[in-house]
Amino acid sequence: MRVRDGGRWAVLAAVGAAGLVACSGNKPAAAVHKIRVRQAPAPPAQQVLHRQLSMSPRTLDPSLAEGQPSQHALQDLFEGLTTLSEAGRAVPGVAKSWTIGDGGKTYVFHLRRTARWSNGKPVTAADFVFAWRREVNPMTGAEYAQALKPIVNAAAVMSGKLPPKKLGVVAKGPKTLVVHLNAPTPYFLQLLTNNYMYPLYPPVVKKWGDAWTRPQHIVSDGPFMLTAWVVNGHLTFTRNPHYWDVRNVRLRKVVYYPINNPGSALQQYLAGDIDWTASPDAFPRSEKGWVAKHLPDQLHVSPYFGNAYLGYMVTKKPFDNRDLRLALSMALDRKVLAKDVMRGLAEPAYSLIPPLHGYKQQVPAWAHWPKAKRLAKARELYRKAGYSRRHPLKMRVLYMTEGPGVRHFMEALQTMWHRALGADITLYNEQWKVYLQDVQYGHAKLFWSAWIGDYPDPYTFMQLFNQGFAMNYGHFDNAKYNRLIDAADHEADNAKRYRIFEKAEHVLNQRMPYIPLYYYASYRVVKPYVAGWKPNIMDRHLSKYMVILKHHEK
Amino acid sequence: MLKYSLKRFAGAIPTLLIIVTLSFFMLRAAPGGPFDMQRAMPPQIKKNIEKMYHLNEPLWEQYGRYLGNIVQGDFGPSYVYRGTTVNSLIAEGFPVDLIIGGFALLIALGLGIPIGIVAAMRQNTGWDYGPMALAMLGISVPNFVVAPILILVLAVELQWLPAGGWAHGSPLHVILPTVSLAAPLVAYIARLMRGSMVEVLNSPYIRTARAKGLPTRTVILRHALKPALLPLVSYLGPAAVGIITGSIVIEEIFALPGIGRFFVNGALNRDYTLVMGVTILYGMLIIGVNLAADLLYGVLDPRVRYQ
Repeated sequence: MRVRDGGRWAVLAAVGAAGLVACSGNKPAAAVHKIRVRQAPAPPAQQVLHRQLSMSPRTLDPSLAEGQPSQHALQDLFEGLTTLSEAGRAVPGVAKSWTIGDGGKTYVFHLRRTARWSNGKPVTAADFVFAWRREVNPMTGAEYAQALKPIVNAAAVMSGKLPPKKLGVVAKGPKTLVVHLNAPTPYFLQLLTNNYMYPLYPPVVKKWGDAWTRPQHIVSDGPFMLTAWVVNGHLTFTRNPHYWDVRNVRLRKVVYYPINNPGSALQQYLAGDIDWTASPDAFPRSEKGWVAKHLPDQLHVSPYFGNAYLGYMVTKKPFDNRDLRLALSMALDRKVLAKDVMRGLAEPAYSLIPPLHGYKQQVPAWAHWPKAKRLAKARELYRKAGYSRRHPLKMRVLYMTEGPGVRHFMEALQTMWHRALGADITLYNEQWKVYLQDVQYGHAKLFWSAWIGDYPDPYTFMQLFNQGFAMNYGHFDNAKYNRLIDAADHEADNAKRYRIFEKAEHVLNQRMPYIPLYYYASYRVVKPYVAGWKPNIMDRHLSKYMVILKHHEK
Repeated sequence: MLKYSLKRFAGAIPTLLIIVTLSFFMLRAAPGGPFDMQRAMPPQIKKNIEKMYHLNEPLWEQYGRYLGNIVQGDFGPSYVYRGTTVNSLIAEGFPVDLIIGGFALLIALGLGIPIGIVAAMRQNTGWDYGPMALAMLGISVPNFVVAPILILVLAVELQWLPAGGWAHGSPLHVILPTVSLAAPLVAYIARLMRGSMVEVLNSPYIRTARAKGLPTRTVILRHALKPALLPLVSYLGPAAVGIITGSIVIEEIFALPGIGRFFVNGALNRDYTLVMGVTILYGMLIIGVNLAADLLYGVLDPRVRYQ
């Protein structure tokens, strides 16, 4: 045992007693093994990758699956018309090529002749039609069906007004698929990479019903196929010999381990049980310093397409007052929040849309002001709204129970408001499902919220404040904003569309129906011998590109 | 004894019914349902899902349906793990807990009893104080502290054992969770054993046995052990509870696919049927272990009669 300082045990005991935090600030030096890597693939027998998954997927049925962990597992098993490149861009998948006509509203996909299911049968256009009709059929009970709304008649089918066969998707022969959209949807090709757009092999779904995703029945069309699945245990994938691009798939086997405790994940990584960890459960945020110091070459932090914000109920007192909304937002020191409280695992946010290629973020002018000027303006607005140190705003902010990290963050907000304005904000936390209900029923006036984009496009965030959108929980309703979003909806030219969204974001900055807090970062530790992946804003990394390099421990 | 056992089993039915009823209605009383998501679903789809799972029926009807099903051994479909039944989840997860729980109990008995006996025989010496001080530590240090320390030393530092995971119960993966789970039990059993052994050793019939000139080993093994084990038997019930609650924590730390994680995640996600299934199983386990303990009394103590 190379444990040297006795103080470590006391630290450990204290940390352990404080909760289920499995790591302390002091880890034995031997944990940090030096690994020498050579830039050549390891022999085939060693092409096995052990990946963490944040959670056990609730199902492996692509039509029913929901959430990041399911998506991460399913994108190795299945492939849509398009798939993702290492950099996270949509590239040809089952579709070899496509043409876009009718002002961006009709897509004709030409499927690869070599695309095959894991049983060797060809993937046909009819398999997509079957899968998408099943997705929007209300009898299927697909929680994510509304993602297909851009397709003609999808909304009517979902509400039971039209039969599923009226969905705007037609198989013209076995290898040609025609899709009709309601409006030009520039992000449609990116949407196709998501699990609810994958094809299904109809015979197994029909024959086995709910049980079709069990390893002994499942038929998939992706680079890998399922060989074992123990809920909360592991998912084992082996290379699919019928995959059209199998020659470029170097991993023989991928094993996913659902680990949702970041402390356990880091321990298993250090012990060499897993090679790849999953953001945001790769390690406890409080361990960032240790990881950065001891594993600098294995730590990867990059922007992630999500944001955290506080929602206001803008139709009720006191947050029907714009000056007050703006004052609370300006009083926050976002650099401290992102760099110190979040330990650099987030970026300060002053507006809605996270950094996105081709889009110009509308950062309000006050974001660049010196602190004193910004706080002075915040105090002025606060006074204008009728509050002062003597008559402070008394309010509670709702957030969900999720470990000490969120609580510390909320405490920081509370302190900043108190110091800058003298506002008396109390913290109130509820378990996730209770919190959801209170927010959805409009019981909360000020509430924590977060959103991860479904596809790399501003619309996925913009809809949150669109009148009539089910998740516009603060009931923001601004005529100019709604008009702009509607205009963007009908714009086929993506550059022009982005300019419209920029104007809409500017409206949000003016009206401040929410408090932007931070943009997400994805962060993880990865063994240096895992190559074939790049950071990307959707944080999706297909095992298909990955490879184990030759390596040995020093 | 058979009649007694049957009577006890019959007596357990109302207990289980109370457990089922209470947990059924308490779960339903919690705000939010299994299909309340951050992204609101189209109403028609939500309605259909609720119909699929009979969540649209009046509560008493759901309760009746549930009782009817569990009598036939059907715990229903899981709400969170869609397309999976609670029966199959438990069938997959329970063996994990049986293995680590069973081994933990074996280790606890196998170590705790001898340590307790030695401490009792060498009262007030180093053989007594040393192990008893350690035992006190074992009782007071919870397993969510023991487990990370074991992982740190044996998995991360020395890399002898995996830090977690299951891998179909390979022996290496079983060791750390079992030891972490057993640690407080060993301590408790050792202290219990020492206490009762000291008491037995001071009783007149042991003095008689010694006066007859019997060797110490015979005195301990043949005359003292059996009565000294009695308090231990009554501890079996609480020990089973300790293993169950302990395994929930241990499963989380070692990322094991046992039913404890289903229990916790199920409760957080309002997976009504899954939580009910695990609750009923835990209830039956505790009732069963207590019955076994009562029957063991009769084996150990000839004065006990079952009626």
